[in-house]
Amino acid sequence: MKTFYAFCVVLLVFGSVSEAKFDDFEDEEDIVEYDDNDFAEFEDVMEDSVTESPQRVITTEDDEDETTVELEGQDENQEGDFEDADTQDGDTESEPYDDEEFEGYEDKPDTSSSKNKDPITIVDVPAHLQNSWESYYLEILMVTGLLAYIMNYIIGKNKNSRLAQAWFNSHRELLESNFTLVGDDGTNKEATSTGKLNQENEHIYNLWCSGRVCCEGMLIQLRFLKRQDLLNVLARMMRPVSDQVQIKVTMNDEDMDTYVFAVGTRKALVRLQKEMQDLSEFCSDKPKSGAKYGLPDSLAILSEMGEVTEGMMDTKMVHFLTHYADKIESVHFSDQFSGPKIMQEEGQPLKLPDTKRTLLFTFNVPGSGNTYPKDMEALLPLMNMVIYSIDKAKKFRLNREGKQKADKNRARVEENFLKLTHVQRQEAAQSRREEKKRAEKERIMNEEDPEKQRRLEEAALRREQKKLEKKQMKMKQIKVKAM
Amino acid sequence: MSTNNMSDPWRPNKVLRFKSPPSECNPALDGPTPDYMNLLGMIFSMCGLMLKLKWCAWVAVSCSFISFANSRSSEDTKQMMSSCMLSVSAVVTSYLQNPQPMTPLW
Repeated sequence: MKTFYAFCVVLLVFGSVSEAKFDDFEDEEDIVEYDDNDFAEFEDVMEDSVTESPQRVITTEDDEDETTVELEGQDENQEGDFEDADTQDGDTESEPYDDEEFEGYEDKPDTSSSKNKDPITIVDVPAHLQNSWESYYLEILMVTGLLAYIMNYIIGKNKNSRLAQAWFNSHRELLESNFTLVGDDGTNKEATSTGKLNQENEHIYNLWCSGRVCCEGMLIQLRFLKRQDLLNVLARMMRPVSDQVQIKVTMNDEDMDTYVFAVGTRKALVRLQKEMQDLSEFCSDKPKSGAKYGLPDSLAILSEMGEVTEGMMDTKMVHFLTHYADKIESVHFSDQFSGPKIMQEEGQPLKLPDTKRTLLFTFNVPGSGNTYPKDMEALLPLMNMVIYSIDKAKKFRLNREGKQKADKNRARVEENFLKLTHVQRQEAAQSRREEKKRAEKERIMNEEDPEKQRRLEEAALRREQKKLEKKQMKMKQIKVKAM
Repeated sequence: MSTNNMSDPWRPNKVLRFKSPPSECNPALDGPTPDYMNLLGMIFSMCGLMLKLKWCAWVAVSCSFISFANSRSSEDTKQMMSSCMLSVSAVVTSYLQNPQPMTPLW
């Protein structure tokens, strides 16, 4: 009887264990399977003898929470151990227990005896039940990536800001001595110098200076690299690019003669020749080497005519260009500047774009991307070159021949343009005429008074007839002339 | 008067106010990156919301961040903020519906 009770207890313990938390199964993976018949496992117990001690933990009634895990091959030994447990603990176990304790406790019928028939499948604990942060490693990676992006944004933005400030601090004196208005964002009512850069973007800073002899104004644009964008930073590691300073001086009409001229690195000039409207029209030749004037090989010249090159390449200019050749990307003087070529969908634009007399300078900041604020001082001599160029452009005048050539060029360009757009302009005129007719007809239709309607119609008819007559006359005249 | 011209380049009477350059030239300079990224961000966040794909939502968040970093001065912040919020909501919604961790695509 006592033995029976012990067996029941042990059986119930094992049943409760099968409901235990999965945590307890961390170290071992086997799950015991039982037969429907509670005593099936004990059938062999009487026959077998006890062999070695099992590699499992035997639970006692005292700790019902502890798990019992058995290895596969140890099934035979299990029964032997039961017998051991029974004989050892049987006396002490049966007494504290009575049937009431086990009321409502259901045996586990789902444990089947497939001990040696089917292989036990080891199932991993599903990730969402593991309750550990490690399973969320992809999320952690994503968040880390985003945090790195944000950090880079802040650092890049600050670096660009410091570089801009360093540039402005080193150039402020020179600019203030030359221009009345240094720094204007166009929002103030009065034209007062703001005395600071105008931040357009995290990587673009503007400065407008005005109030100087010869020029209407000067727009300086500091185009830094996109240090705030991590993708850009990574792309730059493959292909180093420099920060750039772009200066655009708008000249007064009376202070600059009519010529188009550019000097710079060969690569930059080729690109400009393709992109810029005026360079493509007036300087059709390939960029020439400036060695004749003492320029280094890295620089080339694009010019409308030789006289302009001669005039521009004086000693001081050559000195500037030679000494700072590594920082100069392009220098472009033009009286026909209208920006890059506009690609319109409908074909050519119907009239020539507006032109302005402009001096454009593009400088590369030394450092090739790895710039420090102190490198900005190296650009100060280039600003001196800009000021010198403004004064030079005012002084330089073409001689009579040069002027004639320049005028001829401009007339030629305009004629070409008109020819190209002739068809479009005709179509545009035609459509305008039709619009007018339609509007008139509508007016006549809308007229309520029948008398007025009749009169307007007659007037329109008369006008049409007159036009037809004129045309016929013209055709006759042409025929006569042809003959 | 002539000495004045030589020494002092200032012409206070000829001061011109700053006029911001036309906005047409700016998009060409900056490239289409912010627009594309904005669009991609929206598409991915909609995919993440509708199809309950977590990785879509995360990609949407990174797209909106990239778009924000590359944004031009002329773009208004409302659009940026709305796309950021949309992508964050896509992430939050997909995790509320299914708290399981993301499984790698490979």
